[in-house]
Amino acid sequence: MQKNLLETQHVSVQYGGVNALDDVSVVIGEGEIVALMGPNGAGKSTVIKSMFGLAPIASGEVLLHGEPYVPIPHNIVHKSVSYVPQGRRVFTHLSVEENLEIGGYIVKDKSLVKDRIAAAYDLFPDLKAKRDKYSGTLSGGQQQMLAIARGLMTDPKVLLLDEPSLGLAPKIVKEVFELVSKINEERHTAILIVEHNLQSLLPIAHRAYVLDHGKVIIEGDAQKVASGDILERIFMGTYKPTH
Amino acid sequence: MDFVVQLTINSIIAGSIYTLMALGFNLTYGATKFFNLAHGVMATIAGYTVFYFSSQPLYISIPAGIFAAGLVGYVLDRTIYSPLRKRKASNMVLLVASLGVFTALESLIALKFSSQHQSLPEIFASVPTFNLFGGSFTAIHLLIVASAAVCALGLHALLKYTLFGKAINAVSDDEEVSKIVGINTNRLMGQVFFVGSAIAGVAGILVGFDTVIIPIMGMPLLLKGIIAAIIGGLGSLWGGVLGAFLLGFVENFGIWHISGEWKDVIAFGLLILFLIFRPQGILKKS
Ligand SMILES: Nc1ncnc2c1ncn2[C@@H]1O[C@H](COP(=O)(O)OP(=O)(O)O)[C@@H](O)[C@H]1O
Ligand SMILES: [Mg+2]
Repeated sequence: MQKNLLETQHVSVQYGGVNALDDVSVVIGEGEIVALMGPNGAGKSTVIKSMFGLAPIASGEVLLHGEPYVPIPHNIVHKSVSYVPQGRRVFTHLSVEENLEIGGYIVKDKSLVKDRIAAAYDLFPDLKAKRDKYSGTLSGGQQQMLAIARGLMTDPKVLLLDEPSLGLAPKIVKEVFELVSKINEERHTAILIVEHNLQSLLPIAHRAYVLDHGKVIIEGDAQKVASGDILERIFMGTYKPTH
Repeated sequence: MDFVVQLTINSIIAGSIYTLMALGFNLTYGATKFFNLAHGVMATIAGYTVFYFSSQPLYISIPAGIFAAGLVGYVLDRTIYSPLRKRKASNMVLLVASLGVFTALESLIALKFSSQHQSLPEIFASVPTFNLFGGSFTAIHLLIVASAAVCALGLHALLKYTLFGKAINAVSDDEEVSKIVGINTNRLMGQVFFVGSAIAGVAGILVGFDTVIIPIMGMPLLLKGIIAAIIGGLGSLWGGVLGAFLLGFVENFGIWHISGEWKDVIAFGLLILFLIFRPQGILKKS
């Protein structure tokens, strides 16, 4: 039996009385890649934020290793969960290397941080060449790489990636997904990845959730989700719930 | 010619005091993004703490003054600003709250020590005076310039070479992502208030040694610090230093042929020029 690392159970989130999430249960199991899909505004980012204590949970709960967990944003990283938010949010007034150091902020053993920075440079040679540059001067693709590398500095068991391909050129998107796959295989890191880009994501994902208007409308094996035409209908806006 | 030298010296001294006020203001502004007007009264608190410990040697009373300012800054953050931030109060609410704090603390100081000015104990039995190219300055002035240099370089080193400093920069950049990487941003802001307020304390003590202390001394120091910070580029350490010296020079050379009462008019005129033509300041930090 695969262990559940991080999950939302029947979580609802409200902003000003409007439901951003409605009874959402999303599970990330050990070592798997989970795709979280759905149109803009469906609530994908809010699912991750709710796990991190960054969205107001009206009902339901977050479970960590199957146990109820009240998320506090700056604490959950101590539980071996990393979050790479949407929009390549690197610290633009810090250098590339400083961004990585801050990624390892909670790591007590600073020689470990050094090792992991070296490992990050192996994984992302582009970043090594720019290690002393302010991250604000990097290209979009490099910033995304840096954001991911920063998230890996704690060597997390769970990595939450919010739209890592947004705004990137197709070639770079391909690189990002190859990398996600590689991280998952080599480090056995469980990855929840929010994505628009179905073609690139479904081949590497093990399971998938499709969210619409704050509700989970499909979940299951990624290949099965990919095979139906339901995804297209959702994205085209012609999907109608059957109740 | 001698007059130009003297004006230059005066400008550098003023620029150093404004630097000390701008450094801490910029630091707390960068981390919290609100105008902490109570920053001015930190200088007053430090000055009066040294006065309170007048019977003690200076090597005790001066650190006590700096520490007291830092501590009050820290406590204000914990008891007032932090709860307001948690309730998602707007920066305008925080600004008004800090103005209230400023007024209240200033009044308390006046109640305790009277609203008259007071003198701090002597640093030097007779203050040494130096002459340079026809201008003169005192050892206390030298101390002011040296303190500004030490604080600016020290703060620079803190931000550049310590994890604590890098975390401060990270929070200034993106508070939410800072939390995500595990920085307890709320606690960090308290520490930032300690450091920023302590530096304002240095300014207050030096002004006290140079002239006198008086409960209302905080407001002019605050305003000059804020003008320096704005024209230098809000949130930028070296921008604030540049702004402080620009302000010092413009103010002092501006009154060359006119009465000294024009100083504040010139200072605010400079501020308004910047707000209109270069609102991001000399060194932009966007
Ligand atoms: N901080 C917020 N305040 C108010 N509404 C929000 C906030 N964050 C998200 N929402 C709303 O919640 C819904 C889901 O947003 P989000 O999770 O960002 O969608 P997605 O990531 O799927 O594009 C949207 O309707 C959005 O407008
Ligand atoms: Mg989103």
